[in-house]
Amino acid sequence: MYAIQAEQLARTFKPDIHAVAGIDLAIEPGKVFGFLGQNGSGKTTTVRMLTTLLRPTGGWARVAGFDVTSNGGAVRQRIGVALQEAGLDEVQTGRELLTLHAQLFGMGRRQARERAEELLAIVDLTEAADRRVAGYSGGMQRRLDLAAALVHHPEILFLDEPTTGLDPISREAIWRYVADLNRQGVTVFLTTQYLEEADRLAGEVAIMDAGTIVAQGSPEELKASIGTDVVTVRPAGHDGVALKAAETLRRLEGSPEVRVVGDSVVVYIPEGARAIAPIVLLLTESGIEITDITLARPTLDDVFLRKTGHHIEATPTGAHA
Amino acid sequence: MRLFRDSGILMLRSLRESMRQPAIEIGNLFIPLFFFAVTVGAISSISEQAFGVSNFTGFQLPVAMLQAIAGSAVAGAGIVNDIQKGYFDKLALTPTPRPALVLGRMLADAVRAVVLVGVIIAVGILTGAGMESGPLGALLLLVIAAAFSLSYTGFAVSLALKTGSNQAVQLSFLLFFPLLFLAPAFAPKEVFSGWLEFLATINPVTYILEGSRSLVLNGWEPDRLLKAFAAIAGIAAVTISMTVWAYRTRKV
Repeated sequence: MYAIQAEQLARTFKPDIHAVAGIDLAIEPGKVFGFLGQNGSGKTTTVRMLTTLLRPTGGWARVAGFDVTSNGGAVRQRIGVALQEAGLDEVQTGRELLTLHAQLFGMGRRQARERAEELLAIVDLTEAADRRVAGYSGGMQRRLDLAAALVHHPEILFLDEPTTGLDPISREAIWRYVADLNRQGVTVFLTTQYLEEADRLAGEVAIMDAGTIVAQGSPEELKASIGTDVVTVRPAGHDGVALKAAETLRRLEGSPEVRVVGDSVVVYIPEGARAIAPIVLLLTESGIEITDITLARPTLDDVFLRKTGHHIEATPTGAHA
Repeated sequence: MRLFRDSGILMLRSLRESMRQPAIEIGNLFIPLFFFAVTVGAISSISEQAFGVSNFTGFQLPVAMLQAIAGSAVAGAGIVNDIQKGYFDKLALTPTPRPALVLGRMLADAVRAVVLVGVIIAVGILTGAGMESGPLGALLLLVIAAAFSLSYTGFAVSLALKTGSNQAVQLSFLLFFPLLFLAPAFAPKEVFSGWLEFLATINPVTYILEGSRSLVLNGWEPDRLLKAFAAIAGIAAVTISMTVWAYRTRKV
């Protein structure tokens, strides 16, 4: 049995916005599945359907073996969900919030308090437990949100952009908790716009673009699927020089795939180390000066670029070419 | 069973919220008491000659009550806040019965209404409003307060669920004020001019006001009390239907 399974799952918003345009999923238990895409690609809509918060308008999905439409209650018992922008009640304290959630999951008062205490320790919030959530930092709120999603020992955890907007230390902390939970056997469905996050955590990745899945596989498979190295050249000079450089580089031996991305030119070419000299030569002959040239093995970003035609917007470190 | 238990848990959460924002509750108490004092001060000396009400303090007490109940009806605003913060989704992801999410906040309104009305009755008695129906009558006033609060707050709750917008919820206050003042708030209905008397006659708030007033001024008048509860039931029938409809057709 799959932990999460979907066929032709779709959601159309009135009048004809196809937020999710028919996707198939088959995620085995115990995996971390990374769902990669830009804002507006349909990631959140997919999560809302899989977590029973939004009715699909087409196809079906089963989570933990239960249909999300006809058996939402059974699904909710088995999943934990931390939605984008931690949804919390700021007037309560962290401890009250977790106790309340434990009670709503059917625990008695005493048991709920004990569970809250345990969870506070797990996400390192014991010291802040009796302060109101309004005073928590962004990272603390995400940790509390994660803890609230874990109250009932869910089999499957849905995390919608769990680290968006967090500083690197808070992000590391969340990644650590997620990896720990996965080691304990929890299946994780993670959406992210951070390639590093997907690369780091996910055993399998799907790239979502404009409501459809455009590529799927392990990060290694996806990177290998490019089959080339990646040479990035930044020519010096005025606007449009990148276009001219790209034109020129398409004449390289073997006519490699060349893309213009911002003010840089990306060349997908086998044995990149050997290609550097011809690239430099060809550009210099055409009177184009080079400010920067790098050679890299393909990254998930390159896969993303190849499949969608654009870079993913955000990176946690803000530092990719 | 789950519904009652979880509604109770969520009610306590909502009450905890008010305890932490005491200024709001003080405002909810101050406004009706202020109007009560000012109106009684201005009109009580002439109310006997003008329209034959000798105990104008007692006559005004239910008006202050209804104002306090309307002021403490914050379930709608609370739900809007939960929706906008994303916390409503979080609650909706627990196995709690859906109606508990709404009922918990509505019950908290009723509790707040009972507390505020209790204070207002005490102030009324201290300032000479009297209570012809005795302690049991005062108790019945609290029951009326709880029942009216639940039926009235449902209106804002349905708008909150349907729109998730604060502006829409503010509308419910706009609705209440005409209802209160198209009822015999300052003078008996008998002295109203024709069109106003007609509007007051079809306004359910009139009967809630007159029923509550009868307990303060006259003692036990079953027909008036029956009409008051019928009016509350009527309002409840409308607001409950609206709430159910809003939940079913909620845009997500």
